[in-house]
Amino acid sequence: MFQLSGIANETIRAEIEEFLERPEEIERNIELFSRASPAMQDIAAALIEGDNDTVDRLTAAALADGVPALEIMDDGLIAGMGIVGIKFREGFVFVPEVLVSARAMKAGMAHIEPILAASGVEPIGTVIMGTVQGDLHDIGKNLCIMMLRGGGFTVIDLGVNTSPDEFLAAVKDSDARLIGMSALLTTTMPNMAKTVEAFKDAGLREQVRFMVGGAPVTPEFGEEVGADGYGKDALACVALAKQLAPEVRG
Amino acid sequence: MKGTRFVVIGENVHTSRIVLRKGKRFAVENGVEGVTFETLDGESGLLPISDAMRATKAYDEGRIKHIALAVDAAMGRGGDPDLGLEYLRRVVADQVRTGAHYLDVNVDEISLRTGEQRAAMEWLVGYVGSLTALPISVDSSDITVIEAGLAAARRAGDAPPILNSASLERTEAVELAVEYGARAIVTAAGADGMPSSAGERIDNASRMVERALGAGLRIGDLFVDPLVFPISVDSSFGLHTLEAIRALRERYGPEIHITGGMSNVSFGIPARKLMNAAFINLAVEAGADSGIIDPVMNPPDAVFSVDRDSEAYGMAEDTLLGRDEMCMNYIMAWRKGRLDTPVG
Repeated sequence: MFQLSGIANETIRAEIEEFLERPEEIERNIELFSRASPAMQDIAAALIEGDNDTVDRLTAAALADGVPALEIMDDGLIAGMGIVGIKFREGFVFVPEVLVSARAMKAGMAHIEPILAASGVEPIGTVIMGTVQGDLHDIGKNLCIMMLRGGGFTVIDLGVNTSPDEFLAAVKDSDARLIGMSALLTTTMPNMAKTVEAFKDAGLREQVRFMVGGAPVTPEFGEEVGADGYGKDALACVALAKQLAPEVRG
Repeated sequence: MKGTRFVVIGENVHTSRIVLRKGKRFAVENGVEGVTFETLDGESGLLPISDAMRATKAYDEGRIKHIALAVDAAMGRGGDPDLGLEYLRRVVADQVRTGAHYLDVNVDEISLRTGEQRAAMEWLVGYVGSLTALPISVDSSDITVIEAGLAAARRAGDAPPILNSASLERTEAVELAVEYGARAIVTAAGADGMPSSAGERIDNASRMVERALGAGLRIGDLFVDPLVFPISVDSSFGLHTLEAIRALRERYGPEIHITGGMSNVSFGIPARKLMNAAFINLAVEAGADSGIIDPVMNPPDAVFSVDRDSEAYGMAEDTLLGRDEMCMNYIMAWRKGRLDTPVG
């Protein structure tokens, strides 16, 4: 059994105590941070506070001390972002604060990524993102992209008004097998289905995973069009990408 | 506002509108879950959540599309029609009372079938028209749904409606406005994307104004929407819109209307009411004379009599003018209770 008092960092303890409400999340985070070293807890705390410079400095220092890059990513950066995600979902923090934490995460990942790449460790993954054909709205999609990049993903941004062929071409031209489709209009939502169909026709459906989202999009609609998952906001998008990425990895 | 009228396009009859299950509008009475409201007779009413809505994930996650619920019930598509009608009467009356000049009607999220959207638009335009003399703003992302709404307004002999909206990706909508004797909102959306600067807004909107004038609409029948984006995403978004408003007013003179979905500005941040009020004031100062707003949340009287010397208002203004990176001061002040200024 892990106890809250077993976590060295005061900020992390306070965050768990004040903002986490679901028993399973409390338990999971107490265990996660109890196992993490104090240095990793400090990185997570700085990330939660959106402190770009401190995350940058502590990540570099930890690497210099010989902490493995993967450990910093998992126990520091991703663990911290997990708390931010829960706080956002529950309405304790707001869009700009999540973006600031994502920026801090990116600062940390800038040290981590080259090391992982050099040692042949798979990056978290690459996501192809686009607003579907006929739809020019991209604020929500761009928020998702910022969060995905903050979460360690590489993103290929196809922009707005993306035809099924453009999604197909992006898959053929890259190693990316994870696709995020966004729509803000009920009139353009059916083009999500058309894109999935186009992948079936091209014989590529089984090799990719589709995520869908956007204000009028519902999880039920996602199932109907044959998508693999639905995210209701930018953080749900990142969580979904993390869940689906291993299914299409090499 | 000196002498000119601020034209309020009330945005509350919109099927995407939600109330939260953990909010104060949600209640369980005699084992029935529903959305509470006050009938026009002052009785307390409860619009029950339909089984269909209860089966959705959105409901599961705590979001109730209450206008969609009321329209479905009122149209006899599930639930008690009388309660649905009663609920809509209240939503309309509240906007009339708080000073709306047009009532925007959008049924995009009632169904994904455009046939059903058309039927709902036709019905709703007729029904809202029967409750008030205020003209309708017919709003949809589908041009055939807009046409159904314009036709319904004409049949009912209502005052000329507004077509919401025409833009470079859908320029033919201006001809539809001419055909139905409607006014038109023309937006700054581009042919292949949303504008990313003040300049693009001005260019796109100007092209649409010229297009509309060329099609035969009069300048006083045009509402230009330079597009309002959330300040939570980019600190310069407020300035983009305000600069575009200034330039468009200068270019087209006093007769054209300049409007916008003002509450978009506060997406993703707390104390939205204050932020909206500040943005409407800034927009009017820049030359806007209209807003697509929720007049119940932001009654125009309160918006224009807000204490602009207060600390809270100053913080909202700073944020909107790009002087508060990532809205950090604003959010911090909200947490400390320093934004609890009455705004209507």
